[in-house]
Amino acid sequence: MTTDISTPPLAPRSDAPAGRPSPHPLRRLGGGLGTVLLCLGTLLFVLPFLFTIATSLRTAADVARSPLGIPHSLTLKNFTDAFSQIHYGRSTLNTLLITGLSCVAITVFGSLASYPLARITQHWSTAVYRLFILGTSIPVFVVVAPLYLLMRDLNLLDSYAGVVFIYTALYLPVAVFFYTSFIRSIPVDLEEAASLDGCGAFRTFFTIILPLLRPVTSTMLTFVALQVWNDLVVPLVFLQDPDKRTVMVNAYSFIDPHTVQPTTLFPAALLGVLPLLLIFVFLQRQVVAGMSAGAVKS
Amino acid sequence: MFHRRRATMAAFLLPAIVVYGMFTLYPLVRGVYLSMTDSLGGPIANFVGTDQYRAMADDPKVTAALWHTVLYAAVVVVTQNGLGLLFASLLFRRPKVRKGLSVVLLTPALISPVMAAFIWSYLFAPTGGINALLDAVGLHSLEHVWLGDTSTALYSVAAVNIWMFTGYSCAIFLASYMSMPTELLEAAALDGASGWRRFASIEWPLLAPALTVNVTLSLIGSLKVFEFPLVLTNGGPAGATDTLTLLVYRNVFGGGKFAYGVALSVVLLVTVVVLSSATSSLLRLRERRI
Repeated sequence: MTTDISTPPLAPRSDAPAGRPSPHPLRRLGGGLGTVLLCLGTLLFVLPFLFTIATSLRTAADVARSPLGIPHSLTLKNFTDAFSQIHYGRSTLNTLLITGLSCVAITVFGSLASYPLARITQHWSTAVYRLFILGTSIPVFVVVAPLYLLMRDLNLLDSYAGVVFIYTALYLPVAVFFYTSFIRSIPVDLEEAASLDGCGAFRTFFTIILPLLRPVTSTMLTFVALQVWNDLVVPLVFLQDPDKRTVMVNAYSFIDPHTVQPTTLFPAALLGVLPLLLIFVFLQRQVVAGMSAGAVKS
Repeated sequence: MFHRRRATMAAFLLPAIVVYGMFTLYPLVRGVYLSMTDSLGGPIANFVGTDQYRAMADDPKVTAALWHTVLYAAVVVVTQNGLGLLFASLLFRRPKVRKGLSVVLLTPALISPVMAAFIWSYLFAPTGGINALLDAVGLHSLEHVWLGDTSTALYSVAAVNIWMFTGYSCAIFLASYMSMPTELLEAAALDGASGWRRFASIEWPLLAPALTVNVTLSLIGSLKVFEFPLVLTNGGPAGATDTLTLLVYRNVFGGGKFAYGVALSVVLLVTVVVLSSATSSLLRLRERRI
């Protein structure tokens, strides 16, 4: 807990030890001003959320009368309306399937590829690593048109597989970046011992490296899952079949923000976020459990 | 024995290389070729050299979109990182509220750009949240048609981007703050350095790597922005929020100007690569000098 050690001398304390030159009033004014600024700023950042939740629970007529008013009566009707309007059940399942499959492929391919990239130090492996890292700055828009032609030729338009392939290719660079730097920080001794004991590359990877990758995997997947779940572009372009569309595409194509009421808009926005939040609450427990289990073993 | 082991290890690369090569590198190369044809997306494509690029130079929409994209990125990078740094340094000095507030600031980054745009499209509406708020506190004169006025539309869209990701910048700066050597900060406190002086001469140099990461990430992110202008304004009013990505999308999938759209995407790639590598190498150079 280095933070606890570092903080006392920094925080402006009213009972500061005597003998230290302390420009008290001015500094305290500055500190107070900072606190006010911090509170106001944070409020500004959460206010749109609170407003969204409050408005979602009001009737359209009530909101029209006074947009900022206190809700007179609460209703869940907006949510049920949005639920059916954006085909929520179906589109959530689609998004879940796409996000899940992409995450599995990114983890498996990414960790496998990072092991040789971290351990083999030769010209070709550095070049391959660089090629992967290049991918972290390529926007999907740069490849969207040729990718569309390719998907059409491969008969992968309108298929989950096509979208999963695209996400895997798009986020493999991120996984390679995370895993390679992490594996490089693992001492090589354990692997050498295993190799003397007759472990091949396969056994070494699965019994020694893979279990160690758990914490960095959860960090990486949090990032990737957020990106994939929230993405609009890829499913908008590559999934035309209404039955296969994701939550974001359905929300985007069925709700026009310029003509509809906030009481339709906001519940749709909240429903789009909900599953992700639930998954994270669940995942966070898993992550903590996995990490503490590892700590007990070692 | 070790040689064979290394060959097996190298084979681990295969699945990743196949997927990445096929669905990123190959389309990238093919895109550059397609941008020099008159392709409509069908099987027939004639090589036309730099025709598409020359047409672009005469297209005021393209120059405007390029300018909007760069301006948007500049506004987002400066404001988002400035606010993120301000919040991080304020939070660092207040350990009791640090963790809680930094999580609160991060929540906008959890939702999708589409959903953020939904929320803000109502807040920005003529009879929406912001104007109602200004009305309630008596500032009628500041009420505005935020997304409908060519002079404010682009900045309003940028504000949503900043709202979403300031917490993210703040988290990165805060992590850098937490890893600062305690002795150095203590020594500074003992020497009586406080407030602005401590920030300028000790904290700011130590934050250099975090600044590099933050600026690079937010620059790449804002140059490829798509959902915010699409949902909030769809490029309007009068093209005031048209970005390169919107033009690529419209030309490739709507306008029947496939090759032109592809050429625009090459321009986007060059913009992103040139600006981001120039910025990050400048910032790295600065890190070494400090």
